[in-house]
Amino acid sequence: MSTVRRGRKGGKYTLMEKRSFPWIYAFLFPTLLLFAVFYVEPIFQTFVTSFARFNGYTPPQWSLDFSDLGGTIFRNYTRLFSMNSFGPAIRNLLWWSLIAMTVHVGIGTAVGVLLYNRLRGWKFVRIVYMVPNVISGAAWAMIYRFMFNDDIGVINNLIRRLDPSSHIQWFYSSPAAFWAITFTWVFYAVIVALVVMGDLMAIPASLHEACEIDGASGFQKLIHIDLPLCRNAIGTSVLLSVTSRIAMYENIALTSRGGPGNDTYGLALILTKSITDFNYGLANATAMLMFVFGIVTMQIINRVFRMNDPVY
Amino acid sequence: MQTTVNTAGHARKLAAAARRSGRSIKPMTPGRVVYLILAYLFLLFIVLVSVYPIVWVIMSSFKSNAAILGNPFSLPDTWNFDAYVSVLNQYSFGRYAVNSLITAGGSTIVSIVFYAMAAYVIAKYNFPLKNFIYVILTLTLLVPGHTKTQPIFQMIMNMGLYDTRTGLWLVYLSGGIAMSLFVLKANFASIPRDLNEAASIDGSGFFRTFWQINLPLARNGLATAGILMFLGNWNEYYYAALLTSSEQNRTLPVSLAYFNQAFSYDYTRMFAALTIVVLPGIIIYALFQEQVTASVAASGVKG
Repeated sequence: MSTVRRGRKGGKYTLMEKRSFPWIYAFLFPTLLLFAVFYVEPIFQTFVTSFARFNGYTPPQWSLDFSDLGGTIFRNYTRLFSMNSFGPAIRNLLWWSLIAMTVHVGIGTAVGVLLYNRLRGWKFVRIVYMVPNVISGAAWAMIYRFMFNDDIGVINNLIRRLDPSSHIQWFYSSPAAFWAITFTWVFYAVIVALVVMGDLMAIPASLHEACEIDGASGFQKLIHIDLPLCRNAIGTSVLLSVTSRIAMYENIALTSRGGPGNDTYGLALILTKSITDFNYGLANATAMLMFVFGIVTMQIINRVFRMNDPVY
Repeated sequence: MQTTVNTAGHARKLAAAARRSGRSIKPMTPGRVVYLILAYLFLLFIVLVSVYPIVWVIMSSFKSNAAILGNPFSLPDTWNFDAYVSVLNQYSFGRYAVNSLITAGGSTIVSIVFYAMAAYVIAKYNFPLKNFIYVILTLTLLVPGHTKTQPIFQMIMNMGLYDTRTGLWLVYLSGGIAMSLFVLKANFASIPRDLNEAASIDGSGFFRTFWQINLPLARNGLATAGILMFLGNWNEYYYAALLTSSEQNRTLPVSLAYFNQAFSYDYTRMFAALTIVVLPGIIIYALFQEQVTASVAASGVKG
């Protein structure tokens, strides 16, 4: 990474470099402007108005009365926490994050290792595995909705070959709906596979040769050398997959719509519903919660996978 | 010096190639047979879950409703395009596709130039706050897109751009910052610095050195980042559903939610509509398979 050059502090720039500064900042300007308008300002506004009474018709109002925490400055948060759909949304987020970290990243890592081992047909697998990622998430959710349909869906028709009386209402009954939504994403870990494969390819050949001289089996090599050395890739994958769970929307909104009851609700659904109800304060409190979840996940992953330490 | 480095690199590559080919003719011990069987079963499963849903949708779009209900696994008897003709006549798919193309394509073309400019100066020059700027820009990868919903919704409303393609185009401009910077910065960094010095001796200014010398040399990176950005915006559903309401500004992914209501039990036409929405993405991927794979791998590497 370019951090090597970081030792150069201000005043260490050559005249040529200094002469280019106006151009350099002019080149950065459009990107920084987009960043300010679409990231900094929205996140700041989300944060500030998550503490306000804000309905979209009148300007946001803050009441700075700290005497009663529940009723005033944290009103949107207390309201969010007491919503019927909040408990299920958090429970689902935690379970889905756990499944993402273990099963989803596990499947991706396994595919990455197999691709790296270049089994016959690995290129075909790599090409095909990407397909679900290049089509619209909305379309994919719809396809799954039909796959799990009781009349025409392949899943129930397959189950009925074994148990003719079975009629599981996948997206409309509990706990089937939770699992049906899980199936819409859990197998599709092509990003994990590619990132892990990239890190595996960066392992110096000398290490593997040393292993072979020591007589390590393929499995020992995998557990003691390969997987520890791609901990950056695995950490990144865990992080990205959990972030995707926090933001998951289409997979729910176009299938179960959060039902049955509130059983498959997610934070993104609470957020959009609050906006269409013109309850902006509540929407932004939900958004802040998603944001905080993201930051906390990032911190934990950085610690656990020691992402900032050099691997070699 | 240059040659020694190259020879060493070449030798390493040869050794790696030899090792790799050696691996495939390993002796067939019972353990290895079990490993191969399990590995292929697993990969077969991966291939099945990745393509079967789409194949099933396409197959079903050629079957009659009765055939879909009777046996969902059967192949179509005839290649009957009636459902496609009827769906295309009933819905302005052309319009949805044009809307998707204008918003996704238009924003990609503009923002790829912006991001290329930023990536270029980050890769080639030293200036105060360089690392800070790069890090905060790439951290955007981790911000859940939905957290900015209300401010962006309100901004588009205030600008009078609700339910317009311009509004959606504007929002899509900011997509893919992090991924584009990863890909483009690496690409510009690999272009020899000597070129810039030679250009400045020849009297080429800052902008011309970028536009006429570096940009053409970075076309691989531009294609890689651009295609992934385009696919992301082309498939985008959340903001498209939120920021448009009328049929004339509807994009392809959003149109799906409406078919569902319209064709409730007309499965053949539903599947034909799904195929029409899904196919362009697959075709783009088929054409630019290498770039898509490269950009996905790159965007994950430095999360």
